[in-house]
This record gives sequence, C-alpha cells and structure tokens, in this order.
Amino acid sequence: MGTGDEEYDYLFKVVLIGDSGVGKSNLLARFTRNEFNLESKSTIGVEFATRSIKVNKKIIKAQIWDTAGQERYRAITSAYYRGAVGALLVYDIAKQLTYQNVERWLSELRDHADQNIVIMLVGNKSDLRHLRAVPADEATAFAEANNLSFIETSALDSTNVETAFENILTEIHRKVSARQMDSMDGDEIDKVCMKPIRIDATTANTNDSAAFQIKQFCCNASA
Amino acid sequence: MRLDIGKMGDHVQKYASDNDMNLKNSFWKKNIRNLPGRASPKKESKSVSSSASTSFDDFQESVSDAWEIEAEDEILRISARECANSAHPPASSCYRNRFPYDVKISKRVAHSAAVNVINNHKASIEEIHKSKNYSNSDLQGESSSQTYKESRHTENRINFSNSEVDTNKLTKFQVLLESNLLQLEDLKKLSWSGVPVEVRPMTWRLLAGYLPTSSERRQQALDRKRIDYANLVKQYYDTDKDEVYKDTYRQIHIDIPRMSTPLFQQTTVQEMFERILFIWAIRHPASGYVQGMNDLVTPFYVVFLQEYLPIGTNIEKLDVSSISKKNRDSLEADSFWCLSKFLDGIQDNYIFAQLGIQYKVNQLKELIQRIDGTLHGHLMKHGIDYLQFSFRWMNNLLTRELPLRCSIRLWDTYLAESDCFATFQLYVCAAFLLHWRQELLEEKDFQGLMIMLQNLQTQNWTDTDISLLVAEAYRLKFTFADAPNHLTTKR
Repeated sequence: MGTGDEEYDYLFKVVLIGDSGVGKSNLLARFTRNEFNLESKSTIGVEFATRSIKVNKKIIKAQIWDTAGQERYRAITSAYYRGAVGALLVYDIAKQLTYQNVERWLSELRDHADQNIVIMLVGNKSDLRHLRAVPADEATAFAEANNLSFIETSALDSTNVETAFENILTEIHRKVSARQMDSMDGDEIDKVCMKPIRIDATTANTNDSAAFQIKQFCCNASA
Repeated sequence: MRLDIGKMGDHVQKYASDNDMNLKNSFWKKNIRNLPGRASPKKESKSVSSSASTSFDDFQESVSDAWEIEAEDEILRISARECANSAHPPASSCYRNRFPYDVKISKRVAHSAAVNVINNHKASIEEIHKSKNYSNSDLQGESSSQTYKESRHTENRINFSNSEVDTNKLTKFQVLLESNLLQLEDLKKLSWSGVPVEVRPMTWRLLAGYLPTSSERRQQALDRKRIDYANLVKQYYDTDKDEVYKDTYRQIHIDIPRMSTPLFQQTTVQEMFERILFIWAIRHPASGYVQGMNDLVTPFYVVFLQEYLPIGTNIEKLDVSSISKKNRDSLEADSFWCLSKFLDGIQDNYIFAQLGIQYKVNQLKELIQRIDGTLHGHLMKHGIDYLQFSFRWMNNLLTRELPLRCSIRLWDTYLAESDCFATFQLYVCAAFLLHWRQELLEEKDFQGLMIMLQNLQTQNWTDTDISLLVAEAYRLKFTFADAPNHLTTKR
C-alpha cells in the first residue's frame, strides 16, 4: 500500500466531514485505492488514508482523515480538525437533509479548525440523477455566498473524484506557496495572491502527526 | 513467615483502600479478592506443575504461588515501604522511590505468571483445538484447514483422542446446565476458556444474567421476557415515533444495511436489528444509539440463531425468513435482552463525548507506556495518538478488528468476566496491541503505522489466537490491575 518513505514536497492534512451515509468513506476509498464498496460499514471514530499527487511539478502527499458522521462522535472527530489545511464537506445530492446540515458542519469547522482552512463543498452520489433532491445551482450559489469551492462527484462511477481532491490540494498549495513567497520576498506576493494568508506549518516532531509539514521550501528548490 | 506476608499484604490493601478512595483506585482495585498472584495467608502450597491442569481453578491455584516462591523478599521490602509511607498519601517523590521495587516485583510475577499461563493455556488450547472449531467452520470455511493443521501439531502432546476432550468439556457444561440450582461461578470458570457451540446459547443467556440460575424457573422466565419484549416492540416501535426518536431511527436505518455480509442484506434481518437497537436506544436515553452498536448485537444474534439450525449450517447462505415466526421472535427477544445486560457494564462508553472510552484510551496509553516503553516510544516518536486507533477497539469491543467467529469466542470470556469485563477489555486491547509489536516496530513512519493499526491482519485468526490473547490479557491484568502505583493516571 502507498505508505512508505516516498519523497514528497508537501504533506497536507485534509478532513472529510458531513452527515452519515453521504459517502465520505467511499470518496476516500475511490481516491486512495480506486475502490468502491456499496455496503461499506459505518466509520467508527476516524479512519486514515494517504495518497500522493503531483501539482505544479511538486509532489503533494495528502493525509486524509475520514470521520464518522454521527453527531455523537463530534467530540472525538473535532479533535482531528486541528492542523487540517483542507476540508471536504460532503452531502448526498439525493438527500435534502444532508444538504441542510451543511450549515452546521460549517460552524463546526469555524469552531474547531484553523480559520484559513480551505473548504470544498462536495455533492456526492451524482450518479443518482433520478433521485436528485438538491439542485446543483442551489449548491453553487450557497458555495459562492460562503466562499467555498463546489463540485459534484460520484464515488460509485468515479466522476470528479480525482478532480475534487486535485482541486483542493492545488488550492492549498497555492495558499502555502503564497505564504512562502510572503516570508521570502514581499514584492512577489501580489503576483501570486491578492492577500497574504497565514497557515502555520507544523514541524515533524510535534505530536500532531506532522499534520501540515513542509519538507522543502521554495528557496531550496534550485538545489 | 507466610502469615506475616499475609498481614503485610492486608496492610497494603487496607492502606490503599483507606487512602485512595478516588476513581482511579476503585477502578484498579476492583474485585481485588479474586485476583490470583496476590499474597495470601493460606499455608497450603501447591506445586506448580506444567502438566495439563485444565480448569480455571487450577490456574488460579498455580499462580498464587507466584508470590510465595520467588517474590517473597520483594514483597517484604515493598510492604515495609508501604508501611513507612502509609502515614502520608503517596507523593510523587515517594512514588519514584518505590518505582524500582515495583518494577522488580512485576517482572518476577510476570515471569512466573507467564510460565504458568502458558503451561495452563497450552493445555486448555489443546482442549479448545480439539473441539473442532464449530463456529469456525460455520462462518468461514477457508481457515478451517489451518486450524486443522495447527491442531495436528498439538496432537502428540496429549494422550486422549479428540472426541474425548471434546466430549469432556461438553459434558462438564451439560452437567452444570442441567443442575437444579446452577453455580454461576462454576459456569463462569468453565466458560472463560471457551464455550462449546452446542451449549453456547444457553450458557450465554445465563452468563449475561438474562436467565435465573434455578433451572425450574428458567423456561418460565424466558417465556415472560419474550412477551415483555414483544410488548416493548408494540409500545415503541409499531406506534408513531416521536420526532426526537426519528433521528435515532434514521441513523439506525442508515447503518444496518451497511453491515456488509449477505446475512444482513436480508430485510427480515435488518428489521430485527432495527427493532433491537431502536428499543434499546429509547430505553437508554443517556446514551442512545451510537454507531457501532449494531456490531455488538451480531454475536448474540448469530449465536442464538444457531440454536434453530442444525450444527454446521452456513449462516451466510441462510434465508432467515425460513425460520418460523415464533423462533425469530424468540431470537430477537433474546438478542435484545442479552445485549441490554451486556451493555449495562459499559454504558459510559456511549454517553455524551464518550467519556468512558476517552478514559480507557488514556489508561491503555499509560499501560503500554509502563509495559513496553519501546513500543510506546516508537508510537509517540511517529506522532501516533492512541485515540486514533484504539477508539474503535473500545467502541466496538474489537468486533471490527476480528473475524466474527473470533469475536464470538472472545465474548465467551467477556461474558464470563461479567461485571468486570469493562476492565478486562482494557487489558485485551493492550494484549492485542502488544501482539503486533514486532510488525509495528518495523514500520518507520506515521502513515505506515496508522494504516497497519487500522488494518491488522486477523483474517486467519482462530479460537487459539483468541485464547492466547485473553491469557495474555489476564496476565497483564493481575500484574498491573492490582498495583495501582504501576499506573498513575495523570490528570
């Protein structure tokens, strides 16, 4: 399995959140193992997987934490938001209630996650066209109003799963690069990003499992 | 001399109970009298024989020597210190002073105990092995050949034939179960090392405290309980559900069909589980339904289901609706009541914020730190948080980590531990983690460790593995549970 010591430039921690049964675990399985299981068991607490992808010639290792959807687990799972630089907030396009709860999940993130966390709203199960309960344009409008990116995916038929993860990782990378520029060369900032964004890097030694670890800074890239 | 040791031992015990009335202590000191390995004024000294001593009794007898044979001096030394310190509550400096002595004792005890446990379990495992692993062949055919191979290894070490051992254990159970007034303690001792498949349903009902020990009242009680359950279904499930409960129902309804195996794809089975869990949740408002509880119904359900089938039936291919309605109702009611009794002991696991689990995860961490500093250091070095992997172990009582047949065997022991199983489970988790020690030490980074810890390879485990696991857990428990200073809970 894709564990091991392969080289990477960035390590980003991303959490998958959203109501029970919206397909978080299957999105993760599709992205990290290209698997899908129609009857995958409910997630207990949190589960973990990892995959590396290439963005702008840099290897980004995504450390993805899949969380349990049930409210009862909130106390445990919210501990995992700490150090996360990205969140996929998933709902089921065929279940209105899971979309209504997106607001609650957002406030969870506001309470427990870093304020600079990149959030992507994901409408999963797009293969269930005939059962659609949440119009795509409604979700798009909501995402715009809340400064989130938005995508519809299907873990079952693979539609947009890669794209969703690639997009969020690229976005995180963009923010991080901007921050590094900031610390390195103030004049460069405006070309990359309109405003400097602060995301704290965690060192490999902390107990926080190197949640957000930058192995190689831009200034070393020429070496 | 021995009497003195006994007094000292009592003194230590008294000291502990007088001075440490806090939660930590009551936890570790629970059931103190039953713990083998503790100094006792009993004069009689039995020789520890490595020959097949098969009963739990023999085991208890044999380990009580652990103190007397080797650790006498150590006990005196620690007791003297305890006495000297007893005027003051143990301050941390004091604790550090005692520390080396504790280590010494625990190592000695651990060593002699380990030998005893291993000898004893060699014998009992042979016995278990010989019993053909019914549940194994019922539930998963692929590993039975392995079991067979293993049992052939042990064959030349015992003198009697398969069927004899098999029959012996079964007969012991039958005699107990048929006696007019069942000695529950005897049944627990016998069950601890595994219950034969033929008598498992009745044994579990008794161990769970669901049925009375008096055999003549048993059938009557069973009938009444089944009617009670039918009434609960009418009262809570068949009526319009309150708005508050709709969320609970929705959650259960989402989780049940996700239980993977073909058995749970049957509507009949799903409905039975939904009723069991929904009614349990309503009757336990402090916790309510928590994801994963569905997995805790399964062992009961499968064990009671087998009662209505010829032994050896492949339940995965079974159409449950082919069983009569009356039997299905009984099966459902029995599963419900036994689940209720079982969960009574671990309710704090499922209350708000799951405090019981958080507490136990901390205890696990401290236990491992104490037992195996190398492994603990390795996990810490790579940023592994115990909560990340052991939460599920505690929440689901290892059902997600083990094949169903092994969970059932493990529950023989859990049920035999009855009230104390919540404590015992902590030691089972510790033993389980330590089992993978070598593989874990070979993993060199966080991701490797996490992925391994979440996918521990137990597919080929048999009853033997579980017997070894609980033996190790037992050893850890009596080494550490009775020595609260071995584990000082940091607040």
